[in-house]
Amino acid sequence: MKTINKQLFAVLFIILLVTSTVYGQMERKQVQTDGPVQDVFWAPTLITQASTAHLPAGNLNSTIMHSFGVATQRPLQTFFGIDNVRNVRLGVDYGITDRWSMGIGRSSLTNIVDLRTKLAILRQNQSDTQPVSISVKGDLGIVTQENERPIKDDVSTLVSAIFSRKFNDHLSLQVTPMYGHISSVSVGDPHSFFAVGLGAHIPLSRRFALSAEYYPVISKRADNTKNTFSLGLNIETGGHVFQLFFTSTEWHLEQYVLATNREQFWAGDFRFGFNVNRVFSIVK
Amino acid sequence: MLRRAFILCLLMIFALCSKTYGQAYMTEYGHAEFDSSVPLHSFTGESDYLVGKINLDDSVVDFYLDVTTLKTGIGKRDKDMLETLEAEKYPFAEFYGKLTTPFDPEKETPQKVTVEGEFTIHGVSRERSIEGTLEPTSEGLHLNSSWTINIEDYDIKPPGILFYRVSENIDIRIEATLKQTEK
Repeated sequence: MKTINKQLFAVLFIILLVTSTVYGQMERKQVQTDGPVQDVFWAPTLITQASTAHLPAGNLNSTIMHSFGVATQRPLQTFFGIDNVRNVRLGVDYGITDRWSMGIGRSSLTNIVDLRTKLAILRQNQSDTQPVSISVKGDLGIVTQENERPIKDDVSTLVSAIFSRKFNDHLSLQVTPMYGHISSVSVGDPHSFFAVGLGAHIPLSRRFALSAEYYPVISKRADNTKNTFSLGLNIETGGHVFQLFFTSTEWHLEQYVLATNREQFWAGDFRFGFNVNRVFSIVK
Repeated sequence: MLRRAFILCLLMIFALCSKTYGQAYMTEYGHAEFDSSVPLHSFTGESDYLVGKINLDDSVVDFYLDVTTLKTGIGKRDKDMLETLEAEKYPFAEFYGKLTTPFDPEKETPQKVTVEGEFTIHGVSRERSIEGTLEPTSEGLHLNSSWTINIEDYDIKPPGILFYRVSENIDIRIEATLKQTEK
């Protein structure tokens, strides 16, 4: 009799267990994903160097890039160079896929129109089985300012491979071997340039990050040119990324940064500049 | 006598189980999205990891979403969103309630339904009545629903800097096809 009573209690217990399981809430389980590491850089361009940040498919990034005169030359008369707008590049880039974008822009200095494209070959992932991101970039610039040269002499190109890694929430680094070619140069200057660009992105908070980049030219350089250095502050607002920076170059195209910079940042010959990045979702 | 009671209990279990599981529908890959805006700009966050279960026998409706699966298209914005939601502490947005209007699973047309229960996000629960449509299809039960929340009701501080402040009203939409389950 006792055995049967025990069995009865066991059955009742099972009924209670089953009904509570069926009618209770489902167990909450988090999704395990291994997507690309987010937030390696805040914008497709660090300051003047392209970064491994990519636009999602269907997104358009509009950029306004400004550089002013050298801040330390007649600083009071020119309000630290701000009276002399040296170069403005207006451009848009569009994410064709999550890994491939194309863009067009126009620089006010010699009216260069440039077409560019960037492709993500590898993307650093959260499990770190893919520890670095690798992107390749190409840029074709054409001088549209009226001149007597044949159009072949108005062309400039850049090809680069960008290697980056986000080490933690406070540091991302990138190394960018790059090749630039300028068709029209001064007599005696090389047409082609090799450099290994270096870049760093250092978030200080959710909204602010420091960035720095350096362009050591490792091939024969043009006369009196210097390696370009830039130091910037990124401000992320949720809709825009503002990039305020000091830089030695007046250019926003990497091939011209390699070929033409004559200012030495560390000697105090730097200028103020800023980029405004604004992303629009065009196709959902 | 006791042997009969024992057999009766076993029959009850089987009856209960078959009745309970017979009208349950479930998905683990439903679609959820929200619309939010900052001045002059709106954006959408999406996830295809909405988990949900509807049991027509007891009318229980149980849905949850791992908020870390929501993507807005910009990594930095996603990260800000998850920090604002304190996703490490409160990883789920969830609804648990009951169907309060009649629903005929034999009628293969979209039927307006209302559910009442608790919607929880950021660890804060509020009683909500939400409308939607349910449609029996050959693939299962197709669900569509949308509603609006004021994030301040859920102790979520709208993130912002200077004049860029995220609107406190967020439109939420979900869509899923729930398959009959034997779980």
